[in-house]
Amino acid sequence: MGAFGTHTMWTEVGMELKRTVKFEADRDPEFARWISHTVGGERIRQCLQCGLCSGSCPLSLYMDYTPRRLMHLSREGFKEEVLSSSSIWLCTACYACMVECPKKINVTHLMYALKQRAIEEGFYPKRFPIPVMAQQFSRMVRRSGRITESWLVVRVFLRSAILRLLGMSKLGLRLFLAGRMNVRKERIERRQEIVALLDSVAATRKELAL
Amino acid sequence: MPEIRSPGDGANREPPRVGVYVCHCGTNIAGTVDVKAVTEYAAKLPGVVVSRDYKYMCSDPGQALIQQDISEHNVNRVVVASCSPLLHEPTFRRVLSRAGINSFFLQMVNIREHVSWVHLDKQAATEKTKDLVRAAVRRVSLHKPLQKRRVPINPNVLVVGGGIAGIHAALTLADAGKQVYLVEREPTIGGHMAKFDKTFPTLDCAACILTPKMTSVGSHPHITLWTYSEIVKVEGYVGNYKVQVKRKPRYIHEDLCIGCQECITACVYKEGKTPDQFNLGLSKRKPVYLPFPQAVPQKVVIDPETCIQFKSGKCKKTCVEACGERQAIDFTQTEKFEEIEVGTIILATGFKTFDASRHPYYGYGRYPNVYTSLEVERLINAAGPTGGEVVLRDGTRPKSVGIIHCVGSRDANTNRWCSKVCCMYSLKLAHLIKERTGAEVYNFYIDMRTPGKGYEEFYDRLLDEGVHFVRGRVAEVSDWAVHPSEEGKLVIRAEDTLAAFVRRIPVDMVVLSVGLEPQADVQEVRRLFNISCSTEGWFLERHPKLAPVSTFTEGVYIAGACQGPKDIPDSVAQAGAAAAEALALIDAQFVELEPYTAFISEEECSGCKSCIPLCPYQAISFVEDKKKAAINEVLCKGCGTCVAACPSGSIQQNFFEDDEIFEEIEGVLAYA
Repeated sequence: MGAFGTHTMWTEVGMELKRTVKFEADRDPEFARWISHTVGGERIRQCLQCGLCSGSCPLSLYMDYTPRRLMHLSREGFKEEVLSSSSIWLCTACYACMVECPKKINVTHLMYALKQRAIEEGFYPKRFPIPVMAQQFSRMVRRSGRITESWLVVRVFLRSAILRLLGMSKLGLRLFLAGRMNVRKERIERRQEIVALLDSVAATRKELAL
Repeated sequence: MPEIRSPGDGANREPPRVGVYVCHCGTNIAGTVDVKAVTEYAAKLPGVVVSRDYKYMCSDPGQALIQQDISEHNVNRVVVASCSPLLHEPTFRRVLSRAGINSFFLQMVNIREHVSWVHLDKQAATEKTKDLVRAAVRRVSLHKPLQKRRVPINPNVLVVGGGIAGIHAALTLADAGKQVYLVEREPTIGGHMAKFDKTFPTLDCAACILTPKMTSVGSHPHITLWTYSEIVKVEGYVGNYKVQVKRKPRYIHEDLCIGCQECITACVYKEGKTPDQFNLGLSKRKPVYLPFPQAVPQKVVIDPETCIQFKSGKCKKTCVEACGERQAIDFTQTEKFEEIEVGTIILATGFKTFDASRHPYYGYGRYPNVYTSLEVERLINAAGPTGGEVVLRDGTRPKSVGIIHCVGSRDANTNRWCSKVCCMYSLKLAHLIKERTGAEVYNFYIDMRTPGKGYEEFYDRLLDEGVHFVRGRVAEVSDWAVHPSEEGKLVIRAEDTLAAFVRRIPVDMVVLSVGLEPQADVQEVRRLFNISCSTEGWFLERHPKLAPVSTFTEGVYIAGACQGPKDIPDSVAQAGAAAAEALALIDAQFVELEPYTAFISEEECSGCKSCIPLCPYQAISFVEDKKKAAINEVLCKGCGTCVAACPSGSIQQNFFEDDEIFEEIEGVLAYA
């Protein structure tokens, strides 16, 4: 990348210099357009960048980009930064940001939209438990109409942290003996209606985002 | 006019009976000064017959105390130890008047600003208060009865500057039936507002709301409009100013020209050759021109610098031919001087915009497609050089535009102040550019300042419209491409402080939102009207909060951006306020002046004439037959210059006579 790419000249002394300046070519205008047209993104352009969302967020403690920065980066179209951010996975949907936002921006809804987009585009660490959980959850709902907690937990651990499953086995056994864990798969009747519902939601989302 | 001094009237006719009144001012004074101790101390001073303290001496019960003592204890001299005389001297003078004694038998001691607010040591502060009270008691015993002077007010008003502020002030006064002289330096009124296309936040067409007012000025029976004119001399004082106006030759008889502009068409120049000042040089004009289509007055101007007739005397004079029988063109015109008499003056001389080339990193003057905001106003204006098309120098439409805020504002290298209007006009320009060109628009700002009715809502609207907002002061505009997408573009480099990384944004057009500055000749104008300027060069108001349109010179008011950066609504509001202040003075019909004038003891005056050239108000003349100097009390402003300069000490000043001042000094120094 020449003068503005990654410098390798310091690698032998253990220091790698990366380009941090952003070019307009780094922006994805389509992403910026998508975020303001997606459900919850109607008012994202009005964001004043006051930082109230970050201040009220109990998880901003661990975030690489605070919710405020995510709002700004999204509407400016810095897709890579946003979708590879750990912040979107840390959001617990407590809604503290949305309750107080002076511009009534649906920050939490946007976090969901970003999670979904990140999954679609494969922008997350493959073994990170939160997206794995989200995927397994929705897959299970689609198939059975509801989830079976025991099997969901097992699936999540199998796909994220297999070794931790062993460490948790004792707890699992005790829960099972106490009758708190059901291994029988739960399912609802007329499951095709759930599928139709989910398909319809997905279609509407796609339509709105166009 | 009544005599200022009443000779023999009570000078030292009866023995002084002093009343001393010490104010607590709540805890303002009493918190630091032991007022009881001061009161008891004062009671024992020679000449003092009564000494009291009270929580708020300026309150009605406080005033009643003094009035009662004057009638019951025959108090004939009053000392009030309280706040600055600037605040309550008039209050206590009225008390003395009401009680039937001369109001100048009062001496105030400022024990708040001069003592309690500036000292921490309570005991020392109390001792200082005693010293000051003692001095006042000794001084007040020598006070002589004085009378305020009354001078009549000339109802005519001079308004200087024909921008929106001057126009509004002139119309307000003229509608009230006063004769107004409106003097404008340029060939037309309208000022900066006439250059704009739209106004924020309502996006009203500037011309649509301004030109009706301009035409009213031009046709108002009570307004004498002198454009292309300047004030050269101001003499006199409140209510009675004599002003000399220089009327530059426009080589056109204003009364004969009908504004048909046939001379412009007929000019031997087929095309304009001179940069058009009104369009900031973005178009060319001929030597005979009208600044803009709605100019008031609709009278052309001839520029002798470029007119062939003036340069060689050998022009075919096709313009004169076209003018025909009207014979409005007169190459022999010279500058004229008019003398007018007015009672009040309103200064509405406006501002100039920051010279963007002073900020070399933004490339103004180096890159052709870097414009100032005022230039872009002209590009957007339908009557402007491009007929309202926002285009680059090569005539193509920009696909991306960067607007840089705070150019020449909030910067210790240029101007420290916030120019107040730039955030809003930048938003307006962003909207208009996006609307006209569909370009991607970027705003680079430090803080977005949108206080004002409907202003924040306008910002919201722009955010919604998809204009980019990058919070960060731009470091540089360059044409140095380091990425293929930057080839052939102007690259703006700034930290996006909200994203927390540096961005390089290539654009086709850069707009520099230049700040507002005082006019270049502000110091000369200030001296001409004898008013003050802040260090930045804005005209100084008498009080930033309570007298925002008055100046330290009575009868001279300020309105609009000459007092500080201001938008149109604020300028108009201030112009209305200045007009109201002038009207209040006119309606009172006379003004009361303090009697602190100087007077000459004829026996002692040696006729040396040293005082005469020193007087800033030309109030001293030399009486040839007596060989003595004489002071005109009406012109004397009581500055005291002659008093200090007189070699024989024969000039004294009322209320500041030598014995009064010496007595006061001795009073301070006489430790008890």
